[in-house]
Amino acid sequence: MAEINTGGGGGKSEGGKVRSKKASTRIDMTPMVDLGFLLITFFILATTLSKPSSMTLNVPDKTQKEETEPIKASNVMTVFLGDNNKAYYIFGKAANEDPKLETVGYGYEFRKAIQDNARKVPADKFVVVIKPTKVSNYKNMVDVLDEMAITKTKRYALVDALTPDEEKLLKDKAKLQI
Amino acid sequence: MPAVKVKRASSSVDMTAMTDVAFLLLTFFILTAQFKSQDAAAIETPSSISGIKVPDKDIMTIALGKDGKVYFGVDSQQDRITMLDNVAAIKGISFSDKEKKDFSLMSNFGIPISQLKAYLALPDDQKAKVKQPGIPTDSTGAAVTNELKDWVFNSRKANNGLRIALKGDNLAKFPEFKNVLATLQAQNINKFNLITGTEAPPAGWKAD
Repeated sequence: MAEINTGGGGGKSEGGKVRSKKASTRIDMTPMVDLGFLLITFFILATTLSKPSSMTLNVPDKTQKEETEPIKASNVMTVFLGDNNKAYYIFGKAANEDPKLETVGYGYEFRKAIQDNARKVPADKFVVVIKPTKVSNYKNMVDVLDEMAITKTKRYALVDALTPDEEKLLKDKAKLQI
Repeated sequence: MPAVKVKRASSSVDMTAMTDVAFLLLTFFILTAQFKSQDAAAIETPSSISGIKVPDKDIMTIALGKDGKVYFGVDSQQDRITMLDNVAAIKGISFSDKEKKDFSLMSNFGIPISQLKAYLALPDDQKAKVKQPGIPTDSTGAAVTNELKDWVFNSRKANNGLRIALKGDNLAKFPEFKNVLATLQAQNINKFNLITGTEAPPAGWKAD
């Protein structure tokens, strides 16, 4: 404490000598508190605490045409990002083979769907193709990329063009305006 | 019988402890926080579990607002001036030293180059009120009207070590993001960072 006990200043003590009365050393700290909180308020309002994080995104080089072996449809989970925070996926069949179109929300539901499907095929064969549609938003895309990191799906691709079959499928079954 | 007097407590409270607390907090805030930059638009980014921090310097930020407007910014003031010089040379516009200085103070902007001169001429208090229309982009990424490609190209010319960060709003539509992506891919930029907020990974999740 900033207070010093000065004892019973003044008065007559032993010996009967008259001592001069000492001024109190106690200081009023209130203005200092005011100043401190004023500065705190300023710093809270003018600064940011959380530093944003970032995820790296690598896209394939468009100028190079690499010959790759076609992927079997039975190993592919194609995810379509729809509107109203809904995602649709087909698994194991191409869009023209009348596949079952499943609807999932983002987050836990989506994660579970990926994990369930990943178990059905050999681990190194499982591929996720992410197809954002015109009606989907940026958050949906980041969410899905994030799910890829969470489920540790190594093989995934972000493809922005829908094939005519897929478009028809989404229009018929999911009633998407695309 | 004398009246019992209630002993009054002293009305002066010892503020020393409170001063200690206040200055402790103050020290904490000074040491940890960093100043907010004045941005052209408020952007709410989605969050991800990624723990990679955004680099502090040598970074260009392409921001995508919720209405689809594109904003561009480079962190170093020197690079901003060099970049403006390069772009101005291509577009056949010249900027005065004062305009260049004003431009170098803008952390990011979303104005077509044809309107930039008029914007820089505005007094400071008016600048904040102007609704910036965004930088023109397109889906092919290489058209003449695509000004984002000029900014990206010339900022990299100004500083070759610039890393690219994309900062998109939650509600930005995918086609708008695709335009930005196409612009970058047209210049053979295939690796960049997406700026996101931080969220906790699910329990038991470990990075590998």
